[in-house]
Amino acid sequence: MRAGPGWLARPPPRRRRGATAGGAAVWLLAPGGLLTLTVIVVPFVVALVMSLLDLDQYTFRQWLSAPFVGAGNYVEAVGRTSLPHAIWVSGSAAVIATLLALPLGVAAALTTHLPFRGRSLVRSLYLIPYVLPAFVVGTIWRIILQPDGVANQGLATLGIAGGLWLNGPKSYLALIVVQAWSGWPLVYLLALAGLQGIDDSLHEAAALDGAQWRAKLRHVILPLLRPPVALAAIISLLHMVNSFTLPFVLFGVPSPHDVEVLPVLTYVESFQNLRFGLSAAMAVISLVLILVPLLVYLRTVRLDEPEATA
Amino acid sequence: MNASRGLLAAALAATVAIPVTACDPGSSAEDGRTLNVLIGANSIYPTEQKQWFADVSAKFQQQAGAKVTFETFASPTDELTKIQTSMLSGQGPDIYALGTTFTPTAYSTGAFVDLTADQWTKIGGRDRFLPATLGISGPDATHEVGIPFTSRPFVMAYNKELLAAAGIDKPASTWDGLRQQARQLTGAGRYGLAVAYGDGFDPWKFIWAMSIQAGNPLVSDGKARLTDPVTVKAYQTYLGWLATDKVVDPAATGWKNAQAIAAFGAGKAAFLPMVSATSKVTLDKSAVAGKYGYAVMPTVPPGATSLPSGGVGATSILSGDNLVIAKYSKNQDLALRLVNMLTTAESQEAYYRTFGELPTNAELANRLVADPALAAIVDSASKAHGTPFHGGWSKVQLALVNVVVQSVPNLAAGKVDDTSLNALLAQGQSEAQAALDKAK
Repeated sequence: MRAGPGWLARPPPRRRRGATAGGAAVWLLAPGGLLTLTVIVVPFVVALVMSLLDLDQYTFRQWLSAPFVGAGNYVEAVGRTSLPHAIWVSGSAAVIATLLALPLGVAAALTTHLPFRGRSLVRSLYLIPYVLPAFVVGTIWRIILQPDGVANQGLATLGIAGGLWLNGPKSYLALIVVQAWSGWPLVYLLALAGLQGIDDSLHEAAALDGAQWRAKLRHVILPLLRPPVALAAIISLLHMVNSFTLPFVLFGVPSPHDVEVLPVLTYVESFQNLRFGLSAAMAVISLVLILVPLLVYLRTVRLDEPEATA
Repeated sequence: MNASRGLLAAALAATVAIPVTACDPGSSAEDGRTLNVLIGANSIYPTEQKQWFADVSAKFQQQAGAKVTFETFASPTDELTKIQTSMLSGQGPDIYALGTTFTPTAYSTGAFVDLTADQWTKIGGRDRFLPATLGISGPDATHEVGIPFTSRPFVMAYNKELLAAAGIDKPASTWDGLRQQARQLTGAGRYGLAVAYGDGFDPWKFIWAMSIQAGNPLVSDGKARLTDPVTVKAYQTYLGWLATDKVVDPAATGWKNAQAIAAFGAGKAAFLPMVSATSKVTLDKSAVAGKYGYAVMPTVPPGATSLPSGGVGATSILSGDNLVIAKYSKNQDLALRLVNMLTTAESQEAYYRTFGELPTNAELANRLVADPALAAIVDSASKAHGTPFHGGWSKVQLALVNVVVQSVPNLAAGKVDDTSLNALLAQGQSEAQAALDKAK
C-alpha cells in the first residue's frame, strides 16, 4: 500500500525534456518497474482473478480450473455475509478513533514544541504507543480489559461497574479507545514536524502585533498546521480501517458481533472457512473502499508537485 | 481466457517458486535421498524437539541411507499457508504432521496419498495402531490419508484436596453429576469448574461431546444438525455453568485455555475439564502440584443418568497428530519407510518419554495402561471419537464457537437467553449447512 501513492500518482510526462533524454533514461526505470510488477500488479491481478472463481479447499489444488462464478462472490459477500456490517464497524470506528487522536496528537505536539528540561524524554515517552508492535498493544489491552482486569478494578474504586469490554456493545468503545491510543503519536509526529517548520519570523510578527498565545494559536499556528494534520488524519484513517492485528489479538476469532471488522472477516473467510474466492472478493471490495480516502490523500498532498509546496 | 490463465499461472508459479526453491536447497526433487518433514513447533520442549530431529535423521540415515530435514510451523495458519504454496508449486515437504481435526480438510484438497493396502503393509499394517486413533484418518477404512502419529486425548483435571474436603470420593461420570459436584465445591472464593469461554476452540469440543453422547454427531449424511434439541440442551448446560449455576468464575468469559489452566493451578477451581496431558507441565510447577489427578470427562449427556440409545460414550474428540504424505512427493516409498520407523513401539516410546504425548502404537499403548498416573488419559485415548469427517468441518466448528462468543454478553448478565440462543443456533445451522453443501 505504501508504494501505491507514488506509483498511482505518476503524472503523464510534463517536461518533455525528461522523456526525450533518450531510451536510456526510460530503461533505468526497468528495475523499479519490474519490482512494481511483481510486488503490486501481479498479486493484485491474481486477487482479482481469484475473486471471480469458486475457489475453496476442494478446488485449490488446480486453482486455475476452479469454476468461474463471475460476480457470484461479490453478490454473496454483500448479500449473505456480514460484510456490510463489518464495513460499517471498521469505517465508523476508524473515523471516531481518528477524531479522538487528532486533538490528542496536536496537543502533545504543542507541549513539546518549545524547549524545556527533559523535553527529549517526554518526546520519547510520547512515541511508546507508536513503536510498540500491534500484537503487543493488543495483548496489553486484552489483559487490561479482562472482566477482572486493571480497568474494571480502577472503575470499581470509583464505584462504577465496568462489565464486559471485550465482547458486547462496549467492545466497540474498547476498539475505538485502543485504536486512538495507538494512533495518536502519528498525529503528534506530523504535527510536531509542522510546528518546527513554522518560520520564526511569523512568531515574531505575531508577537510584534501584540497577539496573545490564544490568538496566536488560533490565527497563526493552527492554520499552518492544517496540511500536516490533514495528512496525519488520512494516514491514520487508512491505517485503522486496515488494522488487522490489533482487533485480532484484542477480541480473537470468531469476532464478537460489535467488533467484527473488515480485515478480520476477510482473514476468517480465507483461513478458517477456506473460501479463498469469497475472501478475495472481500479484499477487492475493501481495496475499493480504501481508495476513496486514498484519493483524497493524494489530492491533499499533491505528490506530483513537490516544488509547489516548497 | 485460457491463454491469460496460463500466463497468470506462470506468473504466480514464478513468484511462489522463487522463495520455495530459495529456502530449500536440499529439495527432495534434487537428489532423491532427502526427505522433508513439516511438523508443528513444540513450544513446551523446543530443545528436546531439536535433539529429536537430529536423532531421527541419524537413525534414518543408518536404516535407509537418506537424510531427513525437519521444518516447523508455529500455528495452523502457517501450516495451511505452507500446504497451499506447496500444492501450487508441486514441491515442498514430503510428509506433513497434521492436527486430527484438520485431516478432513486436508483430505478434501486431494493433495495427499490415499493409502493402499500395500502401502499400509509397508508401515506395519493398520493393526499396528490403536483402533480408536484411526477414526479420523479418512472418510472410511478404504480411503485413508492420515497415519496416526501421536495421541493427545482430552481429560479432566481435578483437585484431590478440594474433593476430599467436600467428601467427594471421585469425579462424576455424568454431566449433571459434575454440575452437582461443582455446586458443592463452589464457595469461599473458589469455583467448581475452570472453563475457558473465551477460547477459540475449547467451546465446540464441549458441545460436540455432549451432543454425540446424546446421539447427535452434529453432521450426518452431509446434513448439519446444530438446532437439534440435544445440542440446544448442550449449550444451555455449558453456558449455564457460568450464567445460572454460578460454578465458574465470571471472569472466565474472557479466558483462553491457558488462563483456565492457570486458575486451576492456583487452586481456585476444583475441576478443569477439557485439557490434554500437556497441561501436566504447567500444573506440576503450580500450587496444586502433587495434589491433582486426571479423570475422564463425563460420558453421559446432560439431563440423562445413563447413556441413551444411539448415544456414543465418547470421552474426547480424537485428538493428536496424523502423518500424511504429499501426492507430489517423488519419494513416497522413502516417506513410507520413515513413517514405518516413527510408528514402531520403540520410536513411539522414545517420543512419549521426551514429549509426554501418547503413542498411537497399540502394543505400546496397551503397556502404558498399567501406569496408574496415565490410566485416565490412556483410557480416554481408547474411548475418543472422531469428529465428523467432512471437508466443511472447519466452518461447522467455527459456527459452534461463534454461538458461544455471541452469547457472552448474556452470560455476563447472568442469563441463558433461549430466544437469542435459538436465533444464534439457527444462523449457525444455515452457515454450517451452506459449507457442507459446497462439498465436491
